Amino acid sequence: MLFAHGYGCDQNMWRFITPAFEARYRIVLFDHVGHGQSDAASFDRVRYGALDGYADDVLAICRELDLKDVIFVGHSVSAMIGLLAAIREPERFDRLVLIGPSPRYINDGEYVGGFKQEDIEGLLDFLDSNHLGWSSTMAPVIMGTPDRPELGEELTNSFCRTDPEIAKHFARVTFLSDNRTDLPKVRTKALILQCSQDAIAPEAVGRYIHQNLPGSQFVLMRATGHCPNLSAPEETIAAMEAFLRDPASTKAVA
Amino acid sequence: MDPGALIETAEELYESAPCGYLSTQPDGTIIRVNRTFLTWIGMDRKDLVGHKCFQDLLNIGGKIFYDTHFAPLLRMQGFVNEIAFDLICADGRQLPVLANTVQKLDAAGRPMVHRITLFNATDRRTYERELLLARRKAEEATEQLRRLNETLELRVAEEVAERMKAEEALRQAQKMEAVGQLTGGIAHDFNNLLTIIVGNIELLQRRLPEGHERLKRAAEHAMEATRRAATLTHRLLAFSRRQPLDPKPIDANKLVAGMSELLRRTLGEMVMLETVLAGGLWRTQADPNQLENAILNLAVNARDAMPEGGRLTIETANARLDEAYVQGLAEPVPPGQYVQVSVSDTGTGMDKATMERVFEPFFTTKEAGKGTGLGLSQVYGFVRQSSGHVRIYSELGEGTTIKIYLPRLIGSDEGTAEIPSQAPAMVKGSGEIILVVEDEPSLRAYAVEALRDLGYRVLEAADGREALSLVEQHPEVELLFTDVVLTGGMNGRVLADEITQRKPGIPVLYTTGYTANAIVHHGRLDPGMHLIGKPFTYAELAAKVRRMLDGTA
Repeated sequence: MLFAHGYGCDQNMWRFITPAFEARYRIVLFDHVGHGQSDAASFDRVRYGALDGYADDVLAICRELDLKDVIFVGHSVSAMIGLLAAIREPERFDRLVLIGPSPRYINDGEYVGGFKQEDIEGLLDFLDSNHLGWSSTMAPVIMGTPDRPELGEELTNSFCRTDPEIAKHFARVTFLSDNRTDLPKVRTKALILQCSQDAIAPEAVGRYIHQNLPGSQFVLMRATGHCPNLSAPEETIAAMEAFLRDPASTKAVA
Repeated sequence: MDPGALIETAEELYESAPCGYLSTQPDGTIIRVNRTFLTWIGMDRKDLVGHKCFQDLLNIGGKIFYDTHFAPLLRMQGFVNEIAFDLICADGRQLPVLANTVQKLDAAGRPMVHRITLFNATDRRTYERELLLARRKAEEATEQLRRLNETLELRVAEEVAERMKAEEALRQAQKMEAVGQLTGGIAHDFNNLLTIIVGNIELLQRRLPEGHERLKRAAEHAMEATRRAATLTHRLLAFSRRQPLDPKPIDANKLVAGMSELLRRTLGEMVMLETVLAGGLWRTQADPNQLENAILNLAVNARDAMPEGGRLTIETANARLDEAYVQGLAEPVPPGQYVQVSVSDTGTGMDKATMERVFEPFFTTKEAGKGTGLGLSQVYGFVRQSSGHVRIYSELGEGTTIKIYLPRLIGSDEGTAEIPSQAPAMVKGSGEIILVVEDEPSLRAYAVEALRDLGYRVLEAADGREALSLVEQHPEVELLFTDVVLTGGMNGRVLADEITQRKPGIPVLYTTGYTANAIVHHGRLDPGMHLIGKPFTYAELAAKVRRMLDGTA
């Protein structure tokens, strides 16, 4: 069972979920480049200029660990990253669990993604305010005390540290992505976990994916917000267990 | 009065603290809020409590951040400190705040309530923005500096490469110059020797009694070899650009057409000659004999490059060399209009290394004894001395084209020069007095001997001073024949000027091995001056002197 964290977090966000599966599954956790404990020096603007670059990394992990019959659990943008990886190498993946997925965040004609283009600019501007070091949620102190990183450790929060420039780049790539045409290409059985009142991935988006993703299951959760794995781990685990127990557990045939 | 009334209550502390207090449910729904916060945001308590979530009061970036960062982080570590949010107030204003939040758990360890403390961060945000701007400017400046440094290196590298190219060109030019000096010097001395040899062979021939046929043939062989030696020294002089040139207006078409018979004989039956003469060809100014020599040399080389036969094409054309073209040349060539004469063959061609050396004297690709290595150096020397330019194009196995560019002659109405007749008539003197000035005794002896033999009366002097005193004594002198270079502080030209002052209109005939001196401007004869190049033959001297005395030269 391979867990991929979404935008803004790191692998710590799975801490309430993985214990439920540890006994029966091999658990693989990782941080996307520029997040958590990853090597930010490996970041490359061009390589990670689209979600495909992140999907490459997922496949690289599968190859490196020789993973087969993978149950991929992806949160938020990583749901799409997992989809892309499964399209590329379908034989590796047994199931996909998509938590709060969205193939496109920005409204487009009939399609309701939940955001306008300028909203994303607002987010990037907002990130600037929170990347200044002394008011940062994530980054080590950038200005003033580069020679005293421990000060940064104290002042900032200990989880979900992100390199500020990579975070902005990832935000842009995430929120400007459009993977709607990739949905019908998926051959792996998928579960869509949709929260109530999710501002990032509204219910309409989840239903859109369900309609366009062949053989997918859709579960509307009681949990609110965007991170049911944190706010409602029991409900999340239960939904996953139900999905994994489904007798039609072989790969969906379109 | 209740003394307790003097002490602030907890409610007062809560409601009027200099910070905003909020309590929310784990999903963000506001359950309690203090008055400070209500004042900031301009809303009523009843409109907020139970109705709004904290994240509903944020701008769009804050809303996304709340869901993607703030809420997960709070759930994971139990607190989140120092988050910069922008509250959207009732009147639409944005209020920058800094949020510290603690998550309270119930007895079962489940999240129960969030306590949010907000500080007004208006000033701080302004300050941060300024800092951010300053940092970006600093980064940009650093980047610009870095780029400047990079391009600096590039520019230095380009400059150095340019410099090295120029130095290489200079080295090549200096090499050619040095070889020119050397060959020029050798040719000059050699010419003097040849003049003596020629003179003495001629003397032997004239004085040889009848009946000594073997000796006569031996003298003829010696003379023939001497002539060939003289041709070589002329080529050396041509390369060194010190040959006396006699430039005349030339119609290159006429000149090439006039050579076709000679060329056909030279090329033989295996090589087909084709001439392509441009209509409306400009005239140029050059020494026609030397141009013929150059074309002949090129034709001979072309023939030798086509041992199996082939096609030789001589073309004429009007050409313009522009600034860009001449800038790329190692030698200084002025841009402008040129008459182009090109000689192309379908022969073996040559590689780049050969092309670079091909104008050097004594460089030859021919077998020992088959070539002197002076043909192309004559072409080069002549063309350069005529302010022209030579260009080689060659492809191995395809053939070679050599193009000669000679400057266009503009504004001259005189007719194009005819090629002088090859065999001047032998003409005798009739006792006219000639003053011979030559510092080299054996050369002087040869000239004196020859002129006397021709029937002239001869006065001889070794330098200018001696010559002037002879003129004083013999005002009847009718012709001055002087070397250009004289020892004793007075050169031939100064001497001629002195004598002309005393005897206006006296004809002056100069002789020289080479002419990097007063008589020749830029290697050319001054108009009206007469020169006979060393080594001159008896017959040439006879013809020249006669014509000058008769006023027909």
